[in-house]
Amino acid sequence: MISKKLHHSVNLYLLGFFLFVGGLLAQAQERTITGTVVSGTDDLPIPGVNVAVKGSTQGVVTDFDGLYTIQIGDPTVTLVFSYVGFVSKEVKVGGQNEINVTLKEDVSELNEVVVVGYGAQRKSDLTGSVSSIKDEELTAYPVQSAEQALQGRAAGVAVQSNNGGEPGAPIKIRIRGGTSINASSDALIVVDGFVGGSMPAPGDIASMEVLKDASATAIYGSRGSNGVIMVTTKKGKTGKTTIELNTSYTLQNVNHQLDLLNADQYAAYRQSYADDYEQGPANTNWQDEIYKSGLISDNQLSISGGSENAKYYISGTYYNQEGVILNSNFERYSFLSNVDLDVTDKLKVGLNVFGRRNANDGVLTQSSSGGAGGAGVVSAAYRFTPDLPIYDDNGDYTTNNVGDEIDNAVALARERVNETKTDLYRANFFAEYQIVKGLSFKTTFGFSTTNRMQGRFTPTTLISGAGVGGEASVQSSKSSDLLSENYLTYKTAIGKGNLTVLGGYSFQKNKYESVYAASRGFVTNSVSYSNLGGGSVYLNPDSSFSETELVSLFGRVNYDYNDRYLLTFTARRDGASNFSENNKYAFFPSGALGWKMSNEDFLADSETISNWKWRASYGVTGNPSIPAYGTLARFSEIYSVVGDNIVNGVAVTVLANDDLKWESSYQTDLGVDLGFFHNAISLSLDYYNIQTKDLLFARPLPEYVGLENPYQTQNIGELENKGFEVTLSTRNISNDRFSWNTDFNFSTNKNTVKKLPDGEDIFIDSAPGHFLQGQTQVLREGEPVGSFYGYVYDGVIQEGQDIPNGFENEPGGELFRDINGRNENGELTGQPDGKINSDDKTIIGDPNPDFIASLNNRFTYKNFDLNVFFQASVGGDILNYTLLELASGTSNATTEVLDAWTPTHTNTNVPKNGVREKRITSRFVYDGSYVRLKNLSLGYNLPKTLLARLGVQQLRVFVSAQNLLTFTDYPGADPEVNYRNTSNERSNTNLGLDYGSYPNVRSITTGINLKF
Amino acid sequence: MIKRIQLYIALLVLTVGCTTLEEEPVGLLEPTTFFKTPADLQAAVNGSYAYMASEKYWGRRLPLTLLLRGDMCAIGDLSTALKRQEVNDFTMTDDNGMVTDIWPQSYAIIGAANQAIDGASIVEGNPETINAIAAQAYFYRAFAYYHLVRLFGDIPYIDFAVSDVSTVNDIAKTPEAEVYQKIIADLQFAKENLPNVQPTRSQPSKATAAAYLASVYLTLKDYQNAYDEAKFVIDKEATFNLNLEADFQDLFDAEKAGTLTEPLFTIDFIGQSNDGLLGTDYMASVTGMRADETPKSNGGGWTVSVPALKVFDTWNERDYRRAVSFDTTAVFNGEVHPYTEFANFSPLGVNRPHIAKYYRYPGICGSNERQSSHNYITMRYAEVLLIAAEAANEITGGSTEAIGYIDRIRARARNRDGAVSNYPADVTGSFSKDQLRDTIINERRLELAFEFKRWYDIKRLETGVEAFGPNGLEPHANFSESRDYLLPLPGDELSRNPNLQPNNPGY
Repeated sequence: MISKKLHHSVNLYLLGFFLFVGGLLAQAQERTITGTVVSGTDDLPIPGVNVAVKGSTQGVVTDFDGLYTIQIGDPTVTLVFSYVGFVSKEVKVGGQNEINVTLKEDVSELNEVVVVGYGAQRKSDLTGSVSSIKDEELTAYPVQSAEQALQGRAAGVAVQSNNGGEPGAPIKIRIRGGTSINASSDALIVVDGFVGGSMPAPGDIASMEVLKDASATAIYGSRGSNGVIMVTTKKGKTGKTTIELNTSYTLQNVNHQLDLLNADQYAAYRQSYADDYEQGPANTNWQDEIYKSGLISDNQLSISGGSENAKYYISGTYYNQEGVILNSNFERYSFLSNVDLDVTDKLKVGLNVFGRRNANDGVLTQSSSGGAGGAGVVSAAYRFTPDLPIYDDNGDYTTNNVGDEIDNAVALARERVNETKTDLYRANFFAEYQIVKGLSFKTTFGFSTTNRMQGRFTPTTLISGAGVGGEASVQSSKSSDLLSENYLTYKTAIGKGNLTVLGGYSFQKNKYESVYAASRGFVTNSVSYSNLGGGSVYLNPDSSFSETELVSLFGRVNYDYNDRYLLTFTARRDGASNFSENNKYAFFPSGALGWKMSNEDFLADSETISNWKWRASYGVTGNPSIPAYGTLARFSEIYSVVGDNIVNGVAVTVLANDDLKWESSYQTDLGVDLGFFHNAISLSLDYYNIQTKDLLFARPLPEYVGLENPYQTQNIGELENKGFEVTLSTRNISNDRFSWNTDFNFSTNKNTVKKLPDGEDIFIDSAPGHFLQGQTQVLREGEPVGSFYGYVYDGVIQEGQDIPNGFENEPGGELFRDINGRNENGELTGQPDGKINSDDKTIIGDPNPDFIASLNNRFTYKNFDLNVFFQASVGGDILNYTLLELASGTSNATTEVLDAWTPTHTNTNVPKNGVREKRITSRFVYDGSYVRLKNLSLGYNLPKTLLARLGVQQLRVFVSAQNLLTFTDYPGADPEVNYRNTSNERSNTNLGLDYGSYPNVRSITTGINLKF
Repeated sequence: MIKRIQLYIALLVLTVGCTTLEEEPVGLLEPTTFFKTPADLQAAVNGSYAYMASEKYWGRRLPLTLLLRGDMCAIGDLSTALKRQEVNDFTMTDDNGMVTDIWPQSYAIIGAANQAIDGASIVEGNPETINAIAAQAYFYRAFAYYHLVRLFGDIPYIDFAVSDVSTVNDIAKTPEAEVYQKIIADLQFAKENLPNVQPTRSQPSKATAAAYLASVYLTLKDYQNAYDEAKFVIDKEATFNLNLEADFQDLFDAEKAGTLTEPLFTIDFIGQSNDGLLGTDYMASVTGMRADETPKSNGGGWTVSVPALKVFDTWNERDYRRAVSFDTTAVFNGEVHPYTEFANFSPLGVNRPHIAKYYRYPGICGSNERQSSHNYITMRYAEVLLIAAEAANEITGGSTEAIGYIDRIRARARNRDGAVSNYPADVTGSFSKDQLRDTIINERRLELAFEFKRWYDIKRLETGVEAFGPNGLEPHANFSESRDYLLPLPGDELSRNPNLQPNNPGY
């Protein structure tokens, strides 16, 4: 169609040329060419397109409606139409006076601009390892936070909820594995240049870049070793005002329930080892009692547009989730405003304002100890006797009649109050000034504050509230960040090469304040935590204040020669107040080389290979996790009562460590980017090796030193992460009616502890407290972090079998493997000694997956689009504390016990029924591999002709399903597990643990995207 | 243009130069600049005392260890933590979880006291005022070392504030006898400088220091000094405002704790801590009855530390002190049941009378009577009288003065909840030294039952073979004289500093 029009005008030109030839030559010297530039994707005009006369400095820019007007003198010239994200187009002017152009979107991504620290680069010029995630991937299905939407979208990035499908559950992100043991391994998040920002709503994000290797992250110095996520929010574009409305509703259901005994089965089971057990009056399925359908409403309204000098983007979102457990809800409101002004040709300013409230009304799950009155809602539903009703004859909630005295799950879900409101406000201002051509100065000034309030109440209707007349507490905290950054960027051409130099400094300050108060003994349960003064017993209050400062100098040099050879040097020097006296300043350099081999003569004309680039980088980055005042000796106020009055009491709690340093990661990255058949197939391969040194360990001091916690944080220990990443994108089919694109990510990470203090094993206790089991995991040199530690289960003891002297010696009992013993000097021999005791514990599982992968297929057919997204994790083990507890004879059990050993049923792996200690054994370690259909969505764009009549630009309706299919052999509730994994509780070492988590969910979403 | 660039660079440099990166903690206090006034010194002294009122010390670990180690108290619920059973059964190893908490917490008390004592030399003010406050820290240091030396024998002794770990990394143990001399020196300084009366019994007075000196000398079998120190207190009982409480029960009622005049030193709890360990006690929980529904019980106790039946059966039922010391009934399903039925109502229950001194009147407390508001008495006037009696008898066998002190205690015991009974009668007849010693030690056993004194009596008098023999209250065939009078030093501490090797004999 277009080509026909073009052909037509060429004919006209020829006619005109012959008519006016000769006498009109003088007039041909100055001519006005006009036209419109539209996008090939949606036929909409594109404002801001550069229209330049090839080979000269002359050029103009299209206006709002995509219109341009340019004067030319010579009809032989060629006009070049270029715009970011589109393939440039050249048109010979000849005799035309009107040249209308359609620009095709650049799908090769090579010319795509990606955001890096303090700048942006063409993807083809990158020397570091960077993954980009586009907005449509982030909004493919409703998520409570943008972190969650990252799952499966980039190689080397592992994403998981800390608590199943809990509304508002924190999301854990690991880039190239956990690079620390005791410090946080959470990635640094940079939002529109604000370092340490918090993610905006997914719908407001234009793109995310994940910086993975040292070449990319060293510009963030002491905070770079866990990788950096650069978030860019949406900005307005010159052109007409666009109003977008996206709204969806989601119905959620529990993905998988455990198969537990019903009342009759339970009574029979119980009587098989406790013959005086009398069956209770009811038959309650506790899972059914607490689970329900969940509902999510996700809405976003945005208005964007701009004149030539001013652009704006304003957006508001509202997300409301009713969880699948009674009384667990999450609500989020946010607004975002981005305004950019061109004050003069040389001066640009902008202001980015973001506000958000998260309101969480939660239930307690994953409790760290489920002893008397301490059970979480989900584990209570699993454990509680099924033959008891919800209420007893007096109308009070029942409590458990075997094992620990716990509340029933319905009582826990309904009665316990746990509400958190978190308000975040952030404003970030920037000004950019072009000092001379090629040299510009940018300054940013930002402020962010987070206010959090958590209120809790345990009423007298629950065990732990009953004895104390109810207990209420309120915790409130405020964290504020101030950031000022200033830097110069200089770009120049040197011969065949281009040089970019960046240098600047940054100042950041954080203040944290908190208050806590609690009381007990309320007259009524009705006031919840809203009237602490109404209690009769006040618990001692608490408050704190801390402040840290960070000053930094940073710089980067990029040089590319002849578009073939790329060189990058980056460095940052961080000075931090929380660093120790003798190590106040840290220096983090990195260097990288790139070679665009496909631009060499021998490949330049290749039809097959369209891109072949080698990358290599090495550098050092840091992890600064030294708390404020953490290296100073200090007196702390401690709780002190003299003569029944609380008095001032202080004691030295920390000794000074003047030499303490940050952790340092030395990372090597080797990569290759390949493109075939005009980049219809693009492939990236990366190998990395990260050696983390100077790991922070709390080293035990001789206890007679006289501290209550006789530990001192010291730099001891080394850790290694090695891995391989594959990113494959293919445009399988692309024509007017049908297209099919595939993205495939694959990554491995091998994590090994290289060095520990004195080479000695460090044991970790992660079992729920009431298990009374320590040493559940071990940190051992040469082994991965998080290795499970326990007894090897060898099945059931059979009649007449020759067995070591163990915890159980009768037929039907659990048989453990005898692998170690001691000689007469009490030293371990490594040989069986005929006895089972704690010497026989060994490593029984590795929670780290062999690889994670994802496969995303996008199909479009006419106005339909279909997205099929699979995500997989293979080879990670899971230690299931839930199943371990349910097999211990002190609670309800899974139907596995129906297969228990009896003298007449001996061919089984399930020991005879009875009460057992909750020992950590390989019997409860399972393969946690899974493949999951994370998202399946089908959309339909209503025809443009129809919409035009309604004044609507675009209307898409869609239906999607999340977690529709899961392929796994894991017998627990869900293979995406986490337990005791929040940042203050061993987030690096407590991996692959499953206990009483909020269940994962399966969802169906319907929604519309509407654009005016 | 160049000028403008220079301006920017100048701006850059200026702003960078604005901060020194020095940390100035607010709300956190620095040791080097903290001590200015006597009030600061008192706060540091209080820190040492606060560490005593911790679950890791007097809130459970130490008193429970002392109870179980003696012959007056055994394990009730046999599924309780193994570390407790090992203490009771003389099967401890060097990684026992009771020891691995008592040890560091004892040194935390000492460390905080050392900080205060060092701080006293910096503080400005009236030297008498300063010494009176510092004397509390000397007393706390002596208190903690006195327990340590009796539990472990030779131990590392540190009497200065450690700021650099390398200075003490490889020190050796100080011999027991030398530790005792240092304890005596501290207590003498305390006696010298403390006031006659303190506003509260949780702060030591001159009498407290003297009473502890008497106790230390008694342990060292230095009877003359023991007698002199006890007599010093008794002679000035009015000055020191010391009495025997009229009703024995009042000593164990948390709500009356603040008004008593018999205690010389108490460790205070108010049941309102949310620290987790500091300010938290569990003695009522570990001694109370499982599943008991007595209104105060809030879910019953845990039946961990329960006397052997013989302790109860051999105690004259007419003795009011037995009624105060034991709970013989509990409430289950709304009805009162005798101890012979306790196990019927909980699989973890045992059919024996339980200790009542802490469980019966816990004051303000949480569920299972955890976090009570007891003020635990570590030294009371009755004990001073018994020390005087024991020392007097050792100096003059069959001393009538000694008998007079016992009779004072028995007279009080006859006041049975307001009504005067005729039991226990005054001591009559004449006694040999050995006979009177037996009478005094038995009086100590009953009067101070479950007050964490009995194990130390068995140890100092070396009566373990008899106490744990077949005719004892709590037979343990494996009791070893060469091993069990001392606990093992924590194994991990020995591995951190091998100069502390070897461990105590038998471990």
